[in-house]
Amino acid sequence: MWHAGLAQLERDGRVAVVAIVQDQHPDRARLFLQWKQVGWPTLADSLDLLNLETVPLTLAIDEYGIVRFSELPMSAVATIEQMFVNRTYPKPAALPPADTPDLPALRAATARGTAGAWRSYGDALSVWGAASRWGAVIEAYQHAAQLAPRDGPTQFRLGSAFRTRYDSSARQPTDFQDAERHWARALDIDPNRYIWRRRVQQYGPHLDTPVLFFDWIRDARVEIARLGETPLKLAVEPGDSEYDTPSAGVVGAKVPTAEPDPQGRIRRDRGEFVSVETAVVPLSVTPGQTARMHVTFRPNLGTKAHWNNGVDPLVYWLSPPHGWTADRRAMVTPSASTEVSQEPRTVEFEVTVPETQVPATIVVPGYALYYVCEDVNGVCMYRRRDVNVSVRVTATQKETKP
Amino acid sequence: MKSVIALLLTAVSVVAVGPRAEYQAKPKPIWERNAPLPRGFNPGEAFPTIALSSAADGRPVSVAAFRGKKLIVNVFASW
Repeated sequence: MWHAGLAQLERDGRVAVVAIVQDQHPDRARLFLQWKQVGWPTLADSLDLLNLETVPLTLAIDEYGIVRFSELPMSAVATIEQMFVNRTYPKPAALPPADTPDLPALRAATARGTAGAWRSYGDALSVWGAASRWGAVIEAYQHAAQLAPRDGPTQFRLGSAFRTRYDSSARQPTDFQDAERHWARALDIDPNRYIWRRRVQQYGPHLDTPVLFFDWIRDARVEIARLGETPLKLAVEPGDSEYDTPSAGVVGAKVPTAEPDPQGRIRRDRGEFVSVETAVVPLSVTPGQTARMHVTFRPNLGTKAHWNNGVDPLVYWLSPPHGWTADRRAMVTPSASTEVSQEPRTVEFEVTVPETQVPATIVVPGYALYYVCEDVNGVCMYRRRDVNVSVRVTATQKETKP
Repeated sequence: MKSVIALLLTAVSVVAVGPRAEYQAKPKPIWERNAPLPRGFNPGEAFPTIALSSAADGRPVSVAAFRGKKLIVNVFASW
């Protein structure tokens, strides 16, 4: 592997290596590098600020910041040494300084009301803003998107900003679905963007020929532990759609074979204890197509609600509309190993639209049954949460514009 | 007659050399075959000085901070 081959040159101080990762969750790339025993500084470009169409890409940059090679034969370290490391490059007359944006000036520039000014402000905020910046980033990109709705990078960045906020404590319930909406719009504007395409696929139905996304994480964790190290903790664990094969926790759990509450006798939780977020990928489908649905249950921190893990795990029962098919009817989410916990629990499933379906917004109903307690020392209950996930069925395959 | 033979020989040599030359040609980089790279990614251009967030702690870092040393930049995604 060429990463290892470069190690000696790095140790000798003759070359430095920097990784720039295009993952929505850059800590997964850091885990990957830990697995490969590589300690490069890693920069995150989740919003594709570099505006790249595809990855991977390896560049050789001289001491002055000038790109010398865009396609080095990375498999041959001796060649890299000969072609690049040993060469002397002339110092340019002038070098652009490191970009340190003036946020107040960029904010003031948005008064001009141009899409470019709003996008630049959003770009700068996404990197330089305060920790609580994602609401402001979203707002800036929304202004830009309103002024230039066919600007693909703005749509993609807006989608990624929504997803980033969704994974933070400032999440809004619709953030995940909004992310998907804007990613899909970006890809519709420019279907050649491989990075954008992969972001949509990451949360969508499993592909006919599955392309692995994050299955490597399981192997990486085992091998890192075997080396005596602790695998880096991920801020967001990959969901079912991001694995080709479901997790062992789901496979091993008790999945009901018959509807667990057919008469609806279990008392309802209407959000007092657990809130629900849903997202559908893609947002609209045609007859015969499949959509993937994500349903996340999150204990209400306001009432200090928490899962009771001493009993059965959360069960989800799906009731697809007449004529629709689903890849599963019942699901369970694995419980944490502690007695109580407050982590979000997500179920994912795929539904396929019948060929006879007329265009309409269709509700796919289901419900969850779970054990929840209202406080650490409070009352524990068994509750049912009804969930309706809507998907829009259109008549014909939507055409992508060039 | 000589000119006809010369023409035929030329034609034969073009036919003979054509595919061979094509076979021997070095493949173009992927972006020349598909889409051009953005400004700042092509040989001879200054790499963008835009800062990105450090994946470790979120701190803004520009690739320009690594000036003074030869640098390999590896852009990838873990999927």
